[in-house]
Amino acid sequence: MSVDKSGVRQTTWWKKKDVKQTALIWIILTPILGYFSTEVQVRSMGAPASEIMASTINLMRIFTWTAAPVASLVFAMAGTILLSKSFYGNTPPPEVEVGYTNSPRANALWVVVSAVLCLFALVVGMVAVQRDSATLTDATAMEIKVTGQQWVWSYDYTDGSGVRSEVLYLPVNKPVVFHVTSVDVKHSFWIVQMGIKIDANPGYITETAVTPNKIGVFDVRCAELCGLLHAYMQNKVHVVSQADYDAWIKAQAKLEAATA
Amino acid sequence: MTTTLNRPAASSHSAPKRALIERLNIFTALALGVISAVVIWRLALQFLPQDSEEAIFFNREDKITLLSMIAWFIGFMTGIGALIGPFRWLMGKDLSHDENMFYAGKDMGVKRYFRYTTDHKVVGIQYLVVTVVLFFIGGVLAMLIRTNLGNPEGGWIHPQAYNAIVGTHGIIMIVATIIMITGPFGNFIMPIMIGARDMAFPRLNALSLWLVVAAAAPILWGLAIGGIATGWTAYNPLASQAPLGQNGYIMFICIFAISTMVAGANITTTVIRMRAKGMTWNRTPIFIYGVVASVALALPAFPVFFLSQIMSAMDRAVGTSFYDARHGGSGWLYENLFWLMGHPEVYVILLPAVAALMEMAPVFTRNPLFSFNIAVMGIAGISGLSALVWAHHMYMSGWAPLLNIPFMLTTELISIPTGMLFLVLIGTLWRGRLWVTMPMASVFALLWNFMIGGVTGIYLSDIPADAFLHGSMYVTAHFHYTLMGAGLTGAIASLVYWFPKMTGRIFDAKLSWISFWMVQIGFQIAFMGMFIVGLAGQPRRVEGYAETFNTGNMVTTGGAYLIMSGMLVLLYALIYSWRNGEKASTNPWHSKTLEWTVANPIPLENFDVLPTLTTDAYGYGKEIR
Amino acid sequence: MAKRLVGAIATVAAGALFIAGLGIYVASAKNDDTLLKASAAGTMITPKGTMPHFTLAIQVYPDSMSGSKGPDGGAHPGWVAYGPSTNFEVPANSAITITVTNYDGGESLNNDFFGKIRGTIDGTATLNGKKITSVPADAVGHTFTVHGMANGQDELFFSVPMRAVPEEAMPEEGYTKTPNVTVFTIITGDVGEYIWNCEYPCGDGTIAKFGNAMSTMSYMSGHFNVVKA
Repeated sequence: MSVDKSGVRQTTWWKKKDVKQTALIWIILTPILGYFSTEVQVRSMGAPASEIMASTINLMRIFTWTAAPVASLVFAMAGTILLSKSFYGNTPPPEVEVGYTNSPRANALWVVVSAVLCLFALVVGMVAVQRDSATLTDATAMEIKVTGQQWVWSYDYTDGSGVRSEVLYLPVNKPVVFHVTSVDVKHSFWIVQMGIKIDANPGYITETAVTPNKIGVFDVRCAELCGLLHAYMQNKVHVVSQADYDAWIKAQAKLEAATA
Repeated sequence: MTTTLNRPAASSHSAPKRALIERLNIFTALALGVISAVVIWRLALQFLPQDSEEAIFFNREDKITLLSMIAWFIGFMTGIGALIGPFRWLMGKDLSHDENMFYAGKDMGVKRYFRYTTDHKVVGIQYLVVTVVLFFIGGVLAMLIRTNLGNPEGGWIHPQAYNAIVGTHGIIMIVATIIMITGPFGNFIMPIMIGARDMAFPRLNALSLWLVVAAAAPILWGLAIGGIATGWTAYNPLASQAPLGQNGYIMFICIFAISTMVAGANITTTVIRMRAKGMTWNRTPIFIYGVVASVALALPAFPVFFLSQIMSAMDRAVGTSFYDARHGGSGWLYENLFWLMGHPEVYVILLPAVAALMEMAPVFTRNPLFSFNIAVMGIAGISGLSALVWAHHMYMSGWAPLLNIPFMLTTELISIPTGMLFLVLIGTLWRGRLWVTMPMASVFALLWNFMIGGVTGIYLSDIPADAFLHGSMYVTAHFHYTLMGAGLTGAIASLVYWFPKMTGRIFDAKLSWISFWMVQIGFQIAFMGMFIVGLAGQPRRVEGYAETFNTGNMVTTGGAYLIMSGMLVLLYALIYSWRNGEKASTNPWHSKTLEWTVANPIPLENFDVLPTLTTDAYGYGKEIR
Repeated sequence: MAKRLVGAIATVAAGALFIAGLGIYVASAKNDDTLLKASAAGTMITPKGTMPHFTLAIQVYPDSMSGSKGPDGGAHPGWVAYGPSTNFEVPANSAITITVTNYDGGESLNNDFFGKIRGTIDGTATLNGKKITSVPADAVGHTFTVHGMANGQDELFFSVPMRAVPEEAMPEEGYTKTPNVTVFTIITGDVGEYIWNCEYPCGDGTIAKFGNAMSTMSYMSGHFNVVKA
């Protein structure tokens, strides 16, 4: 207890009823909000098919759990306000006893905490970017040229086999660099479950890279409106074992040669 | 130029003139616009040379379309009387005081709403009507989109029509959300709130409104000639390849950009130069800061947008290749120019909404605004930083991978001033005496929606997450949460809050509540569903999608129908209240800002005697600390 | 209150009706609502065993007067149109022999990926009776390329280029008497909805020549649906 300027005994701020109520709501709401938002998002994204996607899903987890207490605090305070006495009708309630126009402590705390959280988000993001772009400079990576055309993706394997295909076959656990371009308008090459995307620009070649780490069939979708049939500019990525991939490439190369 | 801005209002009787001024109105404008468009179209069709067989690009039809749209524009603006002022000034016979008063709608009755009237209150009402019409059109298009997507069997609407509807919905809504607060309330309420008799440039005020009306025709006309195939962002080179309707988009933007720049110059000058005596910057209501920041952002941003469209028009109609990589140009040039505007523009939309709610919060909690300085810093911080973040829309474009991280930094930084705005709102609500009204509820809705919109924005600002989320429905859900969940909520609250001052009647409370709940709940359902399909991998702007997205889309469509119903209830409530609403007292909300000191019907020049201020408008509380 | 409620409900109903009406109008504005179904033709021995056999006959005209748009050619009589319809329906798990008669000329592809025959039963097609595996990239008239979303349905992709009718053989009026006839067979998987479009750019005067007719449904793009047999 302390005594304020006018001699009235004041409870310390954290013992005040509305503060305690806010704290309680906050403590209960944060895990609920965090868990619910994280689970819904993570489940919607599905199973990752690459290290990059797994790290992105993890990033969403981290960000969501970092944001949860912040959102929760705002909602808890709003909740406490809503639970306090409300006035209805056409005449306004009486004005407050003491109107606070400022609180340097609250201001400073709020700004500092939000700055720290921003910095945290930035650093986490930067670390992830560095890690994800490592594959781009991997000398052992295989290279595939991706051409976006209204409204079909086609792939050129540049490993000397001369194989060209509309379906992407990749060996598991092997890094691959995609050189992406377009022959007409802007498209965007997106391998959904591997979490990589790069625009296909006419006249330029852009790059992205990934190491698929799961065997299965995944989706390539165009992520930039490119005209009439943008919605259908999709095909599949088959990630197979090295042996299966070698067999496929050989068969395709034979087909290319036979039908040249 | 004769003005009467600082003299006490005189009650002069002017003999009615039979001059041209008196006869021009929206109907003459429409007629002249249509006639000009048709005449130029026929002439162009006749006399423009055919495209040569060897030409790489065929421009003739674009030239014809653009020329007739420009003819429409000139005809319309001439027909509404926009040129009279400059013409008379050029002739050396500037408008007399009586003519100016006529122009301001003195003693004109309802006819003044159909004319080039300079009274800011008339312009404000006209903007309100235009905003409602634009939202109606955009909303109908949204319902067509959602109905199409809600059907798991796949599109009823074929891809071309669908793309056109999506693009038109987007650009109409963007324009509608830009003007939704600054137009009606920035014009009607703002001058009275600062204790002025009118805006600094009344004729420019009328001009900015009629430009928006003139701009609406090309975009609708464009729908009929092939539509916009590109989405609201009109990326080149797709925009170059797109059907003729793209010219409608180009004209819409060019005309609207001029309107925005004119309005921006007007509003900033008015606020800087015409505040009442004693209204120092410290005593200027926070709503004014929001509106000024918004137009101050638009002033440099829209010329860039305008330029980008001029170049797009030239690529289409004249055969330049600004954006065509095969001939020396680059699509990235367009992206940079577009987003240089596109990012500040979302704050142009958001700031007035948040500032309006910050204006309402003290009134409905009988508590002073918490930390006015932080509020101003937040608005200024957002405005300043918004010019530095544009390339976060281009992380995946491949333009400048090395710049991705600097832009991530600036984008993360923007959440700091944004957080300040939350602090101000919560601080104002804290320990206040909650007066339960629909505008007050809107403050809470903003806190919820903007929090979700803001956090999802942080995900998108993060490059690896964006590698997954860019171009998916997640982005669409994010920006609807911010522009609609926060922006539109603020606009509807502003409508209900300022309705008594603008019309002299109370906005029907029950109907406003019904609409509020329908819109807000429908909104959560619709856009939460959209986040989920985005996370699951559904791209944007697709008229059909894989089976896995069926449920999410059906849920979103259900939510959309609820929003539609809520908005239609609001429309009905608006019309009903305007015609039959309970008459309002001068200050039904017992607010302390200046506009509530003036009784309805508001005299032509607002104040008999211009007020002098000694305090700010947030003096709630027996004791203020 | 009752009066307001009635008014509010009436406004919602009126709005919904307006949108419904507009929706019906837009939905019915399909560029092409004709449909061509494959015709039965016994069975065929394929690498996948004996399968039911169907045929489909498609023509490519240098204008729109003979396709689905009727003799006056619709809004753009000068645009190339496939006929007799641009919407095709074929049965699932069958061998479909498609005959494309090309009356139009051509030039160079944007991407020579489409100069090769892809996805047919043996990677070949016959052109005017002769077996081919590709068409030189600078002599392609049009292509018939089928693709679509692969979620929840089989990945079906095939692309066959049609040789262009040489300049000399194109008459001033009417169609050439010596069109190029390409025949190929594909095997369909399970039921699914696909899209076809031509990948030879002939939208002169637009970026990458993919505008105009290329970007308008029912000229050189349409639906290709695999339905239950």
